Amino acid sequence: MDLSLLQALDRDRILEVLQRDKQLRIIEEDRVRRMKYELQELRRKGAKSFARQYGERTCARCQRPLGKFWNSGAVCRGCSHRICSKCRVVGGLDWKCTVCHAYREVKFRTGEWFLEEKAKKFPVITDKYETVGENLLRTYNVLSHISVVPPTPPPHLDHQFLNRSMDLKNSKPFTKSVENLMVSFTSHIRKISNSQNDVRDDLLTVASSRSGSDFSCVAQKSLSDTDINKCSRLFKVPSLPNLFKRSKDSDQEGSSTGAEEDTSFSSEYSGGKRGSTSSIGTDLSDTVTVSGELELALTYNTYTSCLEITVGSCRNLSYGDSKRRKCHPCVKLHVLPDKSGKMKTSGKRNTTSPVYNEVLKYDIERHLLFGKRLQASVWHSGTLKKKVFLGEVLIPLDGWTVEDKASEGFNWYPLCPKVCDGFTGHYSSD
Amino acid sequence: MTDGDYDYLIKLLALGDSGVGKTTFLYRYTDNKFNPKFITTVGIDFREKRVVYTASNPNGTTTGKTFKVHLQLWDTAGQERFRSLTTAFFRDAMGFLLMFDLTSQQSFLNVRNWMSQLQANAYCENPDIVLVGNKADLSDQREVQEKQAKELADKYGIPYFETSAATGAEVDKTVITLLDLVMKRMEQCVDKPPAESANGNGATKLGDAQPVEKKCAC
Repeated sequence: MDLSLLQALDRDRILEVLQRDKQLRIIEEDRVRRMKYELQELRRKGAKSFARQYGERTCARCQRPLGKFWNSGAVCRGCSHRICSKCRVVGGLDWKCTVCHAYREVKFRTGEWFLEEKAKKFPVITDKYETVGENLLRTYNVLSHISVVPPTPPPHLDHQFLNRSMDLKNSKPFTKSVENLMVSFTSHIRKISNSQNDVRDDLLTVASSRSGSDFSCVAQKSLSDTDINKCSRLFKVPSLPNLFKRSKDSDQEGSSTGAEEDTSFSSEYSGGKRGSTSSIGTDLSDTVTVSGELELALTYNTYTSCLEITVGSCRNLSYGDSKRRKCHPCVKLHVLPDKSGKMKTSGKRNTTSPVYNEVLKYDIERHLLFGKRLQASVWHSGTLKKKVFLGEVLIPLDGWTVEDKASEGFNWYPLCPKVCDGFTGHYSSD
Repeated sequence: MTDGDYDYLIKLLALGDSGVGKTTFLYRYTDNKFNPKFITTVGIDFREKRVVYTASNPNGTTTGKTFKVHLQLWDTAGQERFRSLTTAFFRDAMGFLLMFDLTSQQSFLNVRNWMSQLQANAYCENPDIVLVGNKADLSDQREVQEKQAKELADKYGIPYFETSAATGAEVDKTVITLLDLVMKRMEQCVDKPPAESANGNGATKLGDAQPVEKKCAC
């Protein structure tokens, strides 16, 4: 019996199963993200707003004032907020406030409880949490992709390569046959490539190397909460414990949950912004009033895994140089909050209604769009290299799905002044 | 079945010796069909089923709340040559159907080994398990007596069912019992403060029908 042939067949069978599992997992991940997002929204709505002084006797959820003697509310055992009788969910003998209740529900429904339990026994060592199936699929897929390459290599080179191959070390549950395959496959690479590093980057660590410095999380397929925890700064979707912790912290600081979330959002945003644009903005003597609109179309291309932003045109822009009534506008794109994917259209001369019709592409896996926003800003590039800000548009990238036809057409977006100003006005609680 | 319109994704896994009927059991459960042909499972496989779960209080009364549960039922190869692969999948499952063949004493003796495999590889030391004696319809070939199996199950503190994938007897009940255990475990894990994890002595702490206090000693 040809064992290697059998194993190859087996491998393909298993691979098929794992592919099916992956499909289910994608649906599940989507569902989990949706739930967490909804919880976040609920927290935001239920949070004490900045408008109210902290310490004032109000229900932490509905903001209704609480009396001193009657209807005085009670402290929720989950979040230690004072809650009015209407914002409670009674379960058994005890009760919880609406947010704590939702938090608990989400923990059930997302399966987070299971991941937590599992992590107690199998600590998550690497940055990524993944199921065994996922791990195998990743490895196998690489293998099957490579197994097309025929020749057998000189054996002495293998070890050297094995040691360098990070993927091998990380993947724990291997059958012997897989290991063997891995050995032969790595050596195939060795043989065919001039520069093994290139190939290794291309094939073995496709995901992680692509992530680069901007997205340390691009490589993740399954986002456990521990992951999201770690990357929450990038994702802007706090994991459950994070959300929870935040609310507690903010309690003590006397700021509010929702507001804190928002401020961390905005501060990060403005922090990143300071990098290039706001430094120009602040020492601008001739700030221009913002007017006009920007026409954009957003689509997500699932085949190439990239976000395609078509910059159509602008209309009724302000003059960048108001004295000489001149305007040479261009549009810059960034993906917030990490300000990745800087892109720019060409500059148009002497017009306040420029037409671009340029497609700018941003490589990102679809699920990573969650929590991200597109910042499209219009700039006048005048003389002396000084750029004048003409307005910007912020578009959340997680609100729409691929199926969302409405998002595929062009839309006009009114230009707004810089958001950091607006934000600090609203959420100066921090 | 490929939409996200469900409340819970629960992953269960069937394990046991080769030929005890894991695949046919799951096939009976998901499709309500029986395939008497023996086709050995290659490595791993899974089937899915959407069920409606009715939540019940600890005292057994139903709360009337229903949930849509998407079950992912992992089927593992019983063959030794896939062992390292299949056991690796244990850790991603929330509950286990430990199966043996009522007409094979050997498969029953191996339950002990499977139990230790579970303790080593499952997500925690004492996961939710249901012991299943399959092929109950072949009464003339029976080698394992109910009393024997029940004693073993009691020793582990897990429920025991005698099923038949051929007739469908007790198949649904078995899976639902396991689902119920997992759902209860879930609440305990979330509601119990993490400090209470001192109990770590294996799988002897599992409650069956009566609501024994289970602790997540994982």
